[in-house]
Amino acid sequence: MREATTASAIPPEAGFDRLCEELSRRAPGEWELYRKSGESLDLQATAAARVTIARREEGWAARWWERGAPLFASGSSPENLERALAEVSRIQTSKEPSPAWPTAKSPERKTHGAIEPPPDLFEELQRQVAAESRGEARLQRLTLRRGASAERIVNGRGLDVFLGGELLDGHAFAIGRKGSRACEASVVFRWDQGPDLESLARRLADRATLPLSDKPAPMDRGEWLLEPSVGAALLSGLTPLFCRDALPKWVHRAELFAPLVRIADDASADALYDGEGTQTRRVAVVEGGTLAARLHDLLSARRAGAPPTGHGVRTSYRVPPAPGPRRIFLEADAPVPPRELLSRVRRGLFASALTAAARLDFERDRYEAEFTGIAVIGGRAQGPVAGARARGRISQLLRRISGLSTDRQFFPMPYPAGAPTLLVERVDFD
Amino acid sequence: MELDAVAVARWLESLAKRPEEIADVFTERRREVTVAWRDGEIREARESFTEGLSARWRGLSGERLVFVSRCDEEAARQAVRAVQKEIGLSPLPVKPSRAREESAGPAWLDTDRWVKRLSALFARHAPRHRFRWTLSDVTRQVIPARGAASVFARRLMSVQGTFTAASRRGDETRDFSFHAPAAESTAEELRVMLTRAGQPRDAAVPCGEGETDVVLAAGCAAVLFHEILSHPLEAGAESPLSGLQQARLAPAEVDVRDDATRLDLFGGYERDDEGAAPLAVKLLDTGRLSGRLTDRAHATARIPSNGHARRAGPQDPPLPRGSNVLVAAGRSTADEMLRRLSSGLWIEEIDGGSVELASGRFRLRFPHARRVRRGKRADECSAGVLSGEILTVLRSIDPGIGREVHAYRALAWCARGGQVVPVQGAAPDLLVRGFSVRPVL
Repeated sequence: MREATTASAIPPEAGFDRLCEELSRRAPGEWELYRKSGESLDLQATAAARVTIARREEGWAARWWERGAPLFASGSSPENLERALAEVSRIQTSKEPSPAWPTAKSPERKTHGAIEPPPDLFEELQRQVAAESRGEARLQRLTLRRGASAERIVNGRGLDVFLGGELLDGHAFAIGRKGSRACEASVVFRWDQGPDLESLARRLADRATLPLSDKPAPMDRGEWLLEPSVGAALLSGLTPLFCRDALPKWVHRAELFAPLVRIADDASADALYDGEGTQTRRVAVVEGGTLAARLHDLLSARRAGAPPTGHGVRTSYRVPPAPGPRRIFLEADAPVPPRELLSRVRRGLFASALTAAARLDFERDRYEAEFTGIAVIGGRAQGPVAGARARGRISQLLRRISGLSTDRQFFPMPYPAGAPTLLVERVDFD
Repeated sequence: MELDAVAVARWLESLAKRPEEIADVFTERRREVTVAWRDGEIREARESFTEGLSARWRGLSGERLVFVSRCDEEAARQAVRAVQKEIGLSPLPVKPSRAREESAGPAWLDTDRWVKRLSALFARHAPRHRFRWTLSDVTRQVIPARGAASVFARRLMSVQGTFTAASRRGDETRDFSFHAPAAESTAEELRVMLTRAGQPRDAAVPCGEGETDVVLAAGCAAVLFHEILSHPLEAGAESPLSGLQQARLAPAEVDVRDDATRLDLFGGYERDDEGAAPLAVKLLDTGRLSGRLTDRAHATARIPSNGHARRAGPQDPPLPRGSNVLVAAGRSTADEMLRRLSSGLWIEEIDGGSVELASGRFRLRFPHARRVRRGKRADECSAGVLSGEILTVLRSIDPGIGREVHAYRALAWCARGGQVVPVQGAAPDLLVRGFSVRPVL
């Protein structure tokens, strides 16, 4: 979410004081109260009709340590939260030390006035998908959502911070057809800098038409060139490694990735605080190929005896915060243009889109990624590959990354994950 | 607390003047308690109480929906006003806001009793575990512009997680998933399932790659039919089944229906999310393609709604969706099924599935299987994926079908268009010839 900057003040916090008092009574100094209000407008367009959805939602959540045991309650109003809070406290959970609560204070955020409806881009995207696919793919549905939210977090140690943001994201669905064969393409996207139809149309066209070629991978081993969306999906699959308490046995911190790889998480452009009120900062998770840091929320930091890193993530007001990435990305000291990476491929495959979610088994050090793409020999495209599978050891995949390009893009996973075109050497395909 | 249906229906009148127009107000109150255990200790407890409503209009040119996270008459009026403005009608006059009505909320969830029961059950049958139990109580009200309003409630529970089971090669961590309406008999059913899931297994070998005959046993054939019949037969879906009405697609012994009236299954309901009473819909009738799953938006004079409009919540418009897929019993015993299979795979669990409607290709993931050689159970096999194409697989079903129908309690949630709704199914053992199989991680 981009920072909100204008318009009216946050609505009066009805019920906030009453809830703070109740939590202070139950767990003096060991509580946190969260409130979120959000508004969004969806436009779902098909060739035949338009569906609009306006949502205005409010959510409240509390977390507290009552008699040394943690509890969590949420509700769609202060009254509902009070009810949930009274009922859940009848369950006796096992005791656990509370975290070191943050104590920051921020000025009250300004929220937006009425949000603008998202633009109707169906016809334009339809034209671009048809052009990119030479008429083989047709856009079926485009959903665009524009939303804004305001959050407030308070705790029993004096924290009182305000967050706000706005968002333009969506989902597009196309079908490619060639003779009697058909293939679906479904792409989720998020536009931080306004609509980018060209890249969306290309992704839809590739995903919908490349599998129609019916051609298998012409090689069983070679270089693997990953389009940024594929690289971002793999990066997202790897993030449990950056958040877990115990690392798998095969992980050697010092040589986890190839030395040219750097992975950082930095959401400071999106929000000054995380979902628990810890200040956002840049964390270099992987530096020079070495696993350098973990992403912590308050509880995981307390358990690890480390300071929190500002990665307490609330995926919804209905669930407690948990450690996770907020804006994670791959970068390199000396990235090269994508063309140069392509020219380095002697014999390999370009993965244009994943055809199923990548599977990573951290216990057994194995991965598997199914994709559609293009065969490349001597740096030149040879023709489409309908479906191929890259598989092997995660540890080898990470150490064999041999190039990162300059074309980094972010994709919703649902948090923003950024990757450029990546080149990996000596990959097994089938 | 219910809304005054007569007053709200009156507000909606102007939105449904033409016969093709649909307008309604939909409310939901949801209370959900989640408890997480680890090795007998309760590590986490949380409770959520949410409510919301939406007003909707649907006409020839499209659909408008306005959602607010409140559930009182003032909120309903606001939502109806917003929809009226959206489609260019003069909105209801603004009423001075009153003190907010206190909603009573659904009855107490009986959490204490469940927590005690489950603690004892887990301690006895799976002492080393990480389980998460969720009990949800959902009450919905639909007030249409035309027709009677309805109120309906469901109480569902889920247990998911992992536990350590003894196997012949030592301890191993296994996944467990159980979803059912919360009833007196549910705890006993859970106990039986947990005991079965913990039975010793041999060391697994990879399941091999290629074409093989497969028996889908213990009810898991429900997942296959959910993917290859329920989804393609949702009204408005384009798939290889489109235009094949009444065509013979499978042996005459195969009867499959979608039945939301089975309230003993996770996907059942008394009223759909447009307020219509659901009907059991024959999807395959003696092997012939039969009905489709419809809602009011996709109903025609010839094919009215059969009560399959479903929403994930009030924030979403309804879509025609499946509920409980039921496969009729045949006559074969488990031994006869083994003999008919002769050589192939015997699968009792499917933990995920997907279908691509445009091409008709689908895939089902199984966490483990048993190889069968010459009609006898042989090696334990590790996880794999079954894949195929809808029409080919329907043709490849063997007419010898098991005689006992089992509810498949691991099938529970179905996602489409970002909306997740509860589903389930029950099926006898089913033999499919020439399934494409390959091992996965």
